[in-house]
Amino acid sequence: MITWEHRESVGWQTSLKSIGIALALTLLLTFGALWLTTGMPLEAFWQMLTYPWQAERALTQWGKALNPAFYLSLIALGLSISYRANVWNIGAEGQFAIGSVFAFGAWLLLGMPNGLWAIPIILLSGVVGGMVWAAIPAALRTLANTNELLVSLMLVYIGAQFLFYLSNGPWEMSAAMKPVPTRTESIPDSLLFTSVFSQGPKLHWGLVWGWQVYLVVAALLAFTLLGYRLSVANQSKRAERFAGFSPVGTIWIAFLFSGGLAGLAGGIFLIGDTGYLVDQSNFLQNYGFTAIIVAFLGRLNPLGILVAGLALGYLEGGAGWLQASGLGDDSISGIIQVIALFCTLGTATLVTHRISWRGNP
Amino acid sequence: MLSLSGITKAYGPIRANESIDLEVEGGQIHALLGENGAGKSTLMKILFGLVQPDAGKISFNGTAVKIKTPQDAKELGIGMVQQHFALFDGMTALENIRLGLTVPPENLRERIAELGNLYGLEVDPDALVLSLSAGQKQRIEIVRALLGDPMLLVLDEPTSVLTPQEADLLFNALRKLRDEGRGLIFISHKLGEVRALCDSATVLRAGKVVGTCDPRETDTDVLAEMMIGQRLSAQEKAPKSFSNAKVVLSAQNIETRDGLRLDDLELHEGEILGVAGIAGNGQDRLFALLSGEAARGTQIAGELKLRDEDLSIIPTRNRRAKGARFVPEERLGHSAIPDFKLSDNTLLTKHSAENKDNTVLRRNRWIRKQAAQIIDYFDVRGGDANARARSFSGGNLQKFVVGRELDSGLDLLIISQPTWGVDLWAASRIRQEIQLRADQGTAVLLISQDLDELMALTDSLSVIANGVLTAVRPTVEWSVPELGRAMAGELEGMVQ
Repeated sequence: MITWEHRESVGWQTSLKSIGIALALTLLLTFGALWLTTGMPLEAFWQMLTYPWQAERALTQWGKALNPAFYLSLIALGLSISYRANVWNIGAEGQFAIGSVFAFGAWLLLGMPNGLWAIPIILLSGVVGGMVWAAIPAALRTLANTNELLVSLMLVYIGAQFLFYLSNGPWEMSAAMKPVPTRTESIPDSLLFTSVFSQGPKLHWGLVWGWQVYLVVAALLAFTLLGYRLSVANQSKRAERFAGFSPVGTIWIAFLFSGGLAGLAGGIFLIGDTGYLVDQSNFLQNYGFTAIIVAFLGRLNPLGILVAGLALGYLEGGAGWLQASGLGDDSISGIIQVIALFCTLGTATLVTHRISWRGNP
Repeated sequence: MLSLSGITKAYGPIRANESIDLEVEGGQIHALLGENGAGKSTLMKILFGLVQPDAGKISFNGTAVKIKTPQDAKELGIGMVQQHFALFDGMTALENIRLGLTVPPENLRERIAELGNLYGLEVDPDALVLSLSAGQKQRIEIVRALLGDPMLLVLDEPTSVLTPQEADLLFNALRKLRDEGRGLIFISHKLGEVRALCDSATVLRAGKVVGTCDPRETDTDVLAEMMIGQRLSAQEKAPKSFSNAKVVLSAQNIETRDGLRLDDLELHEGEILGVAGIAGNGQDRLFALLSGEAARGTQIAGELKLRDEDLSIIPTRNRRAKGARFVPEERLGHSAIPDFKLSDNTLLTKHSAENKDNTVLRRNRWIRKQAAQIIDYFDVRGGDANARARSFSGGNLQKFVVGRELDSGLDLLIISQPTWGVDLWAASRIRQEIQLRADQGTAVLLISQDLDELMALTDSLSVIANGVLTAVRPTVEWSVPELGRAMAGELEGMVQ
């Protein structure tokens, strides 16, 4: 008879082994998907893997993978705090959008300055914006016991409409020749993050600053009671209360952290990548949703999230390159993401359990 | 009709049933009396084929039988109404009844109405179960059992969920069933209703039969003594006066939203105050109130003080900082997290304000050292600080939990069922440690179902029944019959 048994001790080797199995399964199924869609799985896979490194492309293209990887990991790190505590914030996309709205609003309120001093205020406003948007599901959950998963998700669409309304309405740029799609004024070049490299891939300083926030939050999780508190909340509500950690407080912590980081990503995106607000289909990149997958692929671990963020960032680019080469369609990236997610979640059980083939005792 | 002889069943070292004999006649309501843990449920599970005995014989209507499954029991003509209902909320009464029958009769609806009329157990077949009261749900269970036309019907604590009026209706139905010549086994610890309803009784204590009697002609005090045992004299603690000691915990006229009532309680330095009672009478609520785990606003009246401070507004963490410690009954998932290592479980209660080092930073080395000390001092066996809590036996994990909470210089210790499910050796060690802290001046409130433990350890005693605590009296002043009546909620002056 086959049964699941609890492992008595869990070492890092077990974790690595299960990740290895997940990776192998993902590769196998990815080849299957590529075979079905292109008929030439090996060529297609090779193309996705090597395109950015082919000849002179090597200079610029890998930045295209690192850029989304940064946003994905930063948002996913916040989400992992929420998921560690069994709080289901899946509305990071909306918190990202409101983060950029607040960041842009701060620039307007400051009187559209062009001095560098405004940058911290703008970014901080982004954080606040994300937190404000995340505070709605947190408040409804703690006061009215609503389902935070549904509320946070629905607020994504409200947030996106808000972004659309502002960039086409009150904040629309006033110019004789309006661009299509209509958008807000641009933040002056003097404020925009410059590129780290004078030549080569476009990677702006905002990513570097944001990186430091990532390290600080990861350190908080590793060395303070915060990480402990979240895992207690995840294991047992009763033990959480017994320990003296308020479950309501945990929900707020989870939402404020995840919303704040998503909002920060929105602020950085605004002054690093676009410079203005525009309607949602041209502004939002789905980072908030993809980050959910990144958080789980990374097993809610800061280091794992980093690796998963890089992998999915690369995949987004790689699928585009696949389409560019005429071998297939870039929608394959969505399929591979889901394959990876299922394989990771499926093998996660192997970390805490083992399969036993022994007979009935 | 039914005769059990020499039934024995052990779970590891615990003997749930030890050579039990039981005779039930047709046309009789036979009471099975006993405290929680006396072995009533195990015996009935054996009778219904849910558990196989290690030894013993069952004979039914004069022939020896083997009951391997509930199906066997039903075919023999044994019906069972469980204490907890096995009904689907989203289905109608009729659908639930049909699901429980192997071969439902064609005219099920008519049969239900017929049985309802006959025994006064009317059931609306089309009502959704979730809209029904506990009494109505129980009727569905009884009707379902009666459709099999059982010769013997077992009812496990059937009145525990009923209002007095519903209980009266149930008793009428049971008497009618008896008058038809069926045998009934009525499991209860409520002495009053057993005396009013039953024709004969078997009393169990600690897995053994302590006697049989005719409850109609036996005094309540005698029944209580049989159930609880004559234990007061043996391990009596020397009486001590605490009138000069300082009060640590005091409670006056407390009422809570969830029905807990505590009129007057004072716990002094060095005193061990016991709260006796049958499980499920509000012990959990009392613990939550004292530990601060109860939701804010649970206490709606009265005054709860630690020394001179109003305890009701102090959160759990700060209660610990003021020198109070809490050990709940449940280990896994309450006082310890099963999937955490012992070292991580140490931190669970060691991050309060007095452990300043741990309020912000997580000091792994300090935590591991603490865990190792506890393991060493309390002789926790089965693993080191890196082993998961779930891999320890109940006794060893409880020693760890108690050890974690018993810091030196404690002011107040609230401890619930410290030796429940714990081996004898660990139990005696834990009791020893509790006594030691009291000798050092800690005020201890001990919630327990184990009367031996309470008699041996406590200076004063209150009884909790239906969420209401009796007045506190010195332990030596309680008589066994009084305790029995108080535990059944029948002591004079107690509000039901």
